[in-house]
Amino acid sequence: MRFPDSFDVIVIGGGHAGTEAAAAAARMGAQTLHLTMSIETIGAMSCNPAIGGIGKSHLVREIDALDGIMARATDRAGIQFRVLNGSKGPAVRATRAQADRVLYRGAVRELLESTDNLKIFQQAVVDLVVEDGRIAGVVTQTGLTFRAPAVVLTTGTFLGGRIHVGLTHHPGGRAGDAPSNALAERLRALPFKVDRLKTGTPPRIDGRTVDFGVMTAQPGDEPAPVMSLLGSRAEHPRQVPCHITHTNGETHAVIREGLDRSPMYTGVIEGIGPRYCPSIEDKVVRFADKSSHQVFVEPEGLTTQELYPNGISTSLPFDVQLRAVRTIAGFERAHITRPGYAIEYDFFDPRDLAPSLETKVLEGLFFAGQINGTTGYEEAAAQGLLAGINAALKVSGRAPWCPRRDEAYIGVLVDDLTSRGTNEPYRMFTSRAEFRLRLREDNADLRLTGIGHTLGVVGRTRWQSFTTKSSAIDALRAALKSATVVPGSVLAQTIEGACGERVSNATDLLAVLRRPAVKIDALVAALKLPEVAADVANQVEVQTKYDGYIARQQGEIDRLARHEATALPRSLEYAAIDGLSAELKQKLAAARPETLARAARIPGITPAALSLLLVHARRLREQA
Amino acid sequence: MALDGDTIAAVATPPGRGGVGIVRISGPRARDVMQAVTRAAASPRRAQLRDFLDPSGAIIDRGIVLFFPGPASFTGEDVAELQGHGGPVVMDLLLEACLSAGARFARPGEFSERAFVNGKLDLVQAEAVADLIASASKGAARAAMRSLSGDFSRRITELAEAVLNLRIFVEAAIDFPEEEVDFLSTGNVKTQLDDIAANLATLIGGATQGALRTEGWQVVIAGRPNAGKSSLLNRLAGSDRAIVTDVPGTTRDVLRERIDLGGLPLIVVDTAGLRASLDRVEQEGVRRARAEVSTADHLLLVCDPLESEDPLTLINQESLDHLRLTVVENKTDLSGLPVGIVAGASPPRLRLSALTGAGFEALEAHLKAVAGYRDDEGGFSARRRHLDGLRRAQDHVERARAALSSMLAGELVAEDLRAAHQALGEIVGETTSDDLLGAIFASFCIGK
Repeated sequence: MRFPDSFDVIVIGGGHAGTEAAAAAARMGAQTLHLTMSIETIGAMSCNPAIGGIGKSHLVREIDALDGIMARATDRAGIQFRVLNGSKGPAVRATRAQADRVLYRGAVRELLESTDNLKIFQQAVVDLVVEDGRIAGVVTQTGLTFRAPAVVLTTGTFLGGRIHVGLTHHPGGRAGDAPSNALAERLRALPFKVDRLKTGTPPRIDGRTVDFGVMTAQPGDEPAPVMSLLGSRAEHPRQVPCHITHTNGETHAVIREGLDRSPMYTGVIEGIGPRYCPSIEDKVVRFADKSSHQVFVEPEGLTTQELYPNGISTSLPFDVQLRAVRTIAGFERAHITRPGYAIEYDFFDPRDLAPSLETKVLEGLFFAGQINGTTGYEEAAAQGLLAGINAALKVSGRAPWCPRRDEAYIGVLVDDLTSRGTNEPYRMFTSRAEFRLRLREDNADLRLTGIGHTLGVVGRTRWQSFTTKSSAIDALRAALKSATVVPGSVLAQTIEGACGERVSNATDLLAVLRRPAVKIDALVAALKLPEVAADVANQVEVQTKYDGYIARQQGEIDRLARHEATALPRSLEYAAIDGLSAELKQKLAAARPETLARAARIPGITPAALSLLLVHARRLREQA
Repeated sequence: MALDGDTIAAVATPPGRGGVGIVRISGPRARDVMQAVTRAAASPRRAQLRDFLDPSGAIIDRGIVLFFPGPASFTGEDVAELQGHGGPVVMDLLLEACLSAGARFARPGEFSERAFVNGKLDLVQAEAVADLIASASKGAARAAMRSLSGDFSRRITELAEAVLNLRIFVEAAIDFPEEEVDFLSTGNVKTQLDDIAANLATLIGGATQGALRTEGWQVVIAGRPNAGKSSLLNRLAGSDRAIVTDVPGTTRDVLRERIDLGGLPLIVVDTAGLRASLDRVEQEGVRRARAEVSTADHLLLVCDPLESEDPLTLINQESLDHLRLTVVENKTDLSGLPVGIVAGASPPRLRLSALTGAGFEALEAHLKAVAGYRDDEGGFSARRRHLDGLRRAQDHVERARAALSSMLAGELVAEDLRAAHQALGEIVGETTSDDLLGAIFASFCIGK
């Protein structure tokens, strides 16, 4: 049967990419259908119960700046919040929250269900409707056809998913859930390049069988940081600590004995796992000289005893898992509630995507999340948000939005994926961002909310909060700029007393703030300004102190912007360009970069090669 | 509009010992750069006689300056020209002065490219620009390869590796703060950074003081005694650098001569004749000659056409396998054979007369061809490019040291190390962020 209502955008998948995609498309005003195999698992955290961390929290703040869900849900579900890298500088400072799985899922569902233009429907998708070479809708397991000109696919690890515990394996998208094999078959028939990746989880443990007394408690920060501009500490549920314990020589011996039944070490698993999230057997084998590894014991929630021992993900047979776990301090009597497992799944080479996340193979079809070879809730959510925005833009006949690398980590993520591809599950790190000093958590809203407002993805409530904050920032800057301090004056003495810095010539206070030792609170107090919000004061201070560094990158940024604005015609014949090496010709012809900036990201490209492309592109255009 | 907002500079005339050499500057700061070098104000479109000074104020040369404000200029941007006395060393010093004054070394073909982008060239000319960039970049790549041979290259590569090694610790500390490794003390970050700074300073110092300038393409002349090796050197050098007599075995040691062969900088090495001798001094000369042969970029194996034995038998088989050589049949004035390349010979064979100079044009063309030399970017430019990269790396390393001492290793140290690494990467090849992450994961057990 054909479903009677028609939609603008259909989003398939209820994970972190899917929920952000559906909510974003709906906020953009598109009539959106969200299809999921199970409404109960919308917003489920399949891996560890935490949001944020280095590089990842930057993505969460950007999602929030575009009025997305993740940060708001985290504020309602976070049971331990911490700031990481507090002393290494504002750009690499990051927030991490332990989340209660049940609360998180509930918060996501509640936020989705309160979004206008969004309908949710539970049914597995088995086929795509393709008409005139472009997507026209989807077909579900019961033969229902839903029609829409744009479809966002966020199927995570469910495509061709296979779960391994020891040498036994079975099809699965997540422990307890079936994979989407029919859809996987359908997609494999299209000319996408498909490959396999692998990821894993640790065994879960019953907290009643754990001795926390021998572990190190790790409480959250006081006061707890808040994730969303719209969030508040008052929303946070009860806060609980995490704990840290360690593996030991005995653990490692047990693991080594079990390697002959490891699917990893016997070649049963073909997919490539992430280097930064190795299984415990990998750590033991590859770093044999390390006698002990950290295990972060994370609570799964406030209403359950289950624990997530982060650091011992494994696909060893269950008997080895149990013996190994029980060698760890505090886990001697541990009861495993769910075995650890590795999961192999299909992913699609993201180089088949445009930077809008629309597939180059099938117009109107967008991919977001783990299907593109990434790992992590935050990476998935960021892509979902972007795909949702661009699907809605497409339907309304507008040009896609592709954030640049100097604008957002979302831009870095999507550009890395679509121009370079990946051969392991891709995770965000701050070291991936060459404009790291600009892409801070603290200025995500200043970077993106204005853009989001123009695009139409930012709602009224957020826009009001944002404009209030940004005018306060402007006002404080202006106040400091217009205040002059003269040596020997009362103001100078007050500042000298507070900061231990001498004021030796007449200058404005913004210039004084540039000095490393001068804190903005001291200036605000010295000027007797009315109380300013901490985030406003912090923003003015960071901006002022980093001005010089940011200015140094301006040349690089301008170049990137110009390269981004230079489109490369699809008719460019790379093979015929004299002066390009054979290798570059091949890479360029395969990638067909949309812009000069994307060509610049192809490994091995030289400035001279870029000049050649520029000249040839221009010639083609002038001839046309 | 340019691809970037940089002001660029380069030697605009073909390298060599021409009468006049021009350094061209284009971009928003062209006027500033020119005024910094001449310490005088510039009047638009007027030729003025000026001293050219280096940053310390020493006079490099005296010549004509011209300033063309954009858009009525070759590139459409502000353009300045410094016309001095040609010759690679003066041109190089002049270029260096412009780079210290804030210009960036232009890429091959970049002036034409800017002219094109700014609408100064028509479609037909654009074809030519594309060809120019293509051929110029090939030439530059070869020149860069040549100048990156040997010790200089090894030391830059080592330096880039040292920076990578340091970044592994600094970046790991940032991206993996929850690991139980104190990356900064494990990595001896301060010591490593000091070492890098010291090595950079040594490398730049040596390069600036002329160590680089004495580098060149090494051409070794070898052969049996009295084949005319020293005469060949003298003819190439245009002076009586080597003592030439008709007594076999006159050259007992190794003689080196720096020669500018129509823009191609050569170090020509004359060696003792290869023969068994009872004379201990001559034996030592022969030993040294063989050592030179084994490290030559190119070997000129000189022979007398009256010699009966194949000159190739002088060189052992192992050397023959990896050497690039040309057999030079000397004394056409005696043999009466036609001068020039002998068609179809392998290895290449060339006939000339060191006595009369006949056949030397063919020799010059042949040497340039086998050196992969083009007139568009000489070895000097290539080395200047590298020095430019080293200087920028040094600038960032010094900033990183300052940031490290004032606020420990955080994002600012990391930022300057990234920039330093990038500058070195322009010489020895790019390191992507993924390479860096790979090195981190290979070095530490990371991850939950």
